[in-house]
Amino acid sequence: MISGGAYTRRVSAIEFADVAHRFALARGGSYVAVDGVSFTVAPGEFVAIVGPTGAGKSTLLNLAAGLLRSTAGTVSSFGRRVDGINRRAAYLFQQDVLLPWKTALDNVVLGPLLHRRPRAEADALARRWLARVGLAGFENRYPHQLSGGMRKRVALAQSLIVGPEILLMDEPFSALDVQTRALMENDLLRIWQDDRKTVLFVTHDLEEAIALADRVLVLSAGPGARIIGTHPVPLPRPRDVTEVRLEPAFQDIYRAVWRQLRGEVLRAYAASGAGVLGQVASGGTASAP
Amino acid sequence: MSRVRLLPYQIGVLAVALAAWQATTQRRWVDPFFFSQPSAIARRIGEWFATGFIYRHLGTTALETVLAFLTGAALGVVFGFWFARSPLLSGVFDPYLKMANALPRVVLAPIFTLWFGLGVLSKVAFGVTLVFFIVFFNTYQGIREVDADLLNNARMLGASERDLLRHVLLPSALVWILSSLHTSVGLALVGAVVGEYLGAGRGLGYVIAQSEGTFDTTGVFAGMTVLAAFTLVIDLIVTGIEQRLLAWKPEAAGRA
Repeated sequence: MISGGAYTRRVSAIEFADVAHRFALARGGSYVAVDGVSFTVAPGEFVAIVGPTGAGKSTLLNLAAGLLRSTAGTVSSFGRRVDGINRRAAYLFQQDVLLPWKTALDNVVLGPLLHRRPRAEADALARRWLARVGLAGFENRYPHQLSGGMRKRVALAQSLIVGPEILLMDEPFSALDVQTRALMENDLLRIWQDDRKTVLFVTHDLEEAIALADRVLVLSAGPGARIIGTHPVPLPRPRDVTEVRLEPAFQDIYRAVWRQLRGEVLRAYAASGAGVLGQVASGGTASAP
Repeated sequence: MSRVRLLPYQIGVLAVALAAWQATTQRRWVDPFFFSQPSAIARRIGEWFATGFIYRHLGTTALETVLAFLTGAALGVVFGFWFARSPLLSGVFDPYLKMANALPRVVLAPIFTLWFGLGVLSKVAFGVTLVFFIVFFNTYQGIREVDADLLNNARMLGASERDLLRHVLLPSALVWILSSLHTSVGLALVGAVVGEYLGAGRGLGYVIAQSEGTFDTTGVFAGMTVLAAFTLVIDLIVTGIEQRLLAWKPEAAGRA
């Protein structure tokens, strides 16, 4: 896979080849989160993975990041097998992961400092990035003094400042209110448009996936989740996430993906009880616009 | 109610208590031999400071407190960190640590006097046994409770294991250690004074013990008063340090 023949075609930013991941459970035994997952993400491509809660979406991202090691199959990045932290990727987590004892500036400057950049240079770079995500003037605020949306912006600057080629995003905007979320999504698209990084974006929100991505992959319900469908999104760019939703082409893609996803969501719901009730409800109403 | 509005009442309570004490002992309703007298105590404290008698003892107690706190805290941080990062170590030593922590440490004081003599060292050793466990358990907890995503995020940004220690693990443990700072500094002082009380040549505990030995109740109460004032000063210093170091915390900022 890595040697010889890999170079005959264009090298993928991320490639999953028949990947499985099995977790050991604390009570003994194991749980197969994902099984037989194969897909590729081309350099500069924005790919979204949708799937029901608990399907193993975060597991896929952790495998791509090198935070987890696959128990079968290979994960590679730009033709190299991922072994240990994937140094070409940045990760935007679902939870708040800013260090609460550091100011916005000190949080953003962390990456360059860890890469042994001189302090003054790193500081200047961090200020530029904070300005780029719209937070000039908030350099000396601590995370608890910022709103949820602002914290996400700081986190975005913190991830992007190290100049990653791949951005892994795990439902990064799920905790935000609807308006803030749309703003953040548009900002993300604007920043992405500037330097076209490879993005692997995981979400359970189908609308978000279609509005943002070039391609939407559908993950089946766990255990042993696998990719059951891939849907290109040929909507023109630059997009506005709130307006693109109103286009007929968007609705068509939505219906096609939802038809596939629906059964998986119901399956996950039946397996885990009330946990995904909200998701079925929101998916159900939105599917009949 | 605000602190300023409470202050007159707080002073009032003290004034009434002191006045009642003074009056009852003055009229011999209560024997001042057993209960002393506020005026006599004030005079004694004045004498101590005027003659400079008390400074030597205050200095000794302060030195013992600071040394006991620093040593206990340093050992607690090192061992807490070490145990938190090694499940085997913490698993093996868990029952012994629980045992040592449950033991009333006062019983160690005579042994320490035997080992380290009547001087400063035996009090420091005693204080260390009190401070160590507080800091140890808080460091241990602080490092174990660090959010896995916080660590993963730092790793993704390029942090080595050493960087994680400096930027994530230690600051996180520091929050826990600082939250117990009042308790651990207080215990360092308790260690010093109890140690002196049980056998020493100088220190506030020694002054109180000496006065007791000669049925000098005025001396006992004067010693207690100086000790209480000393505790208050230390507590104020600790609060100041805490607010500086925890400026990023929402509660600390609000409390100031």
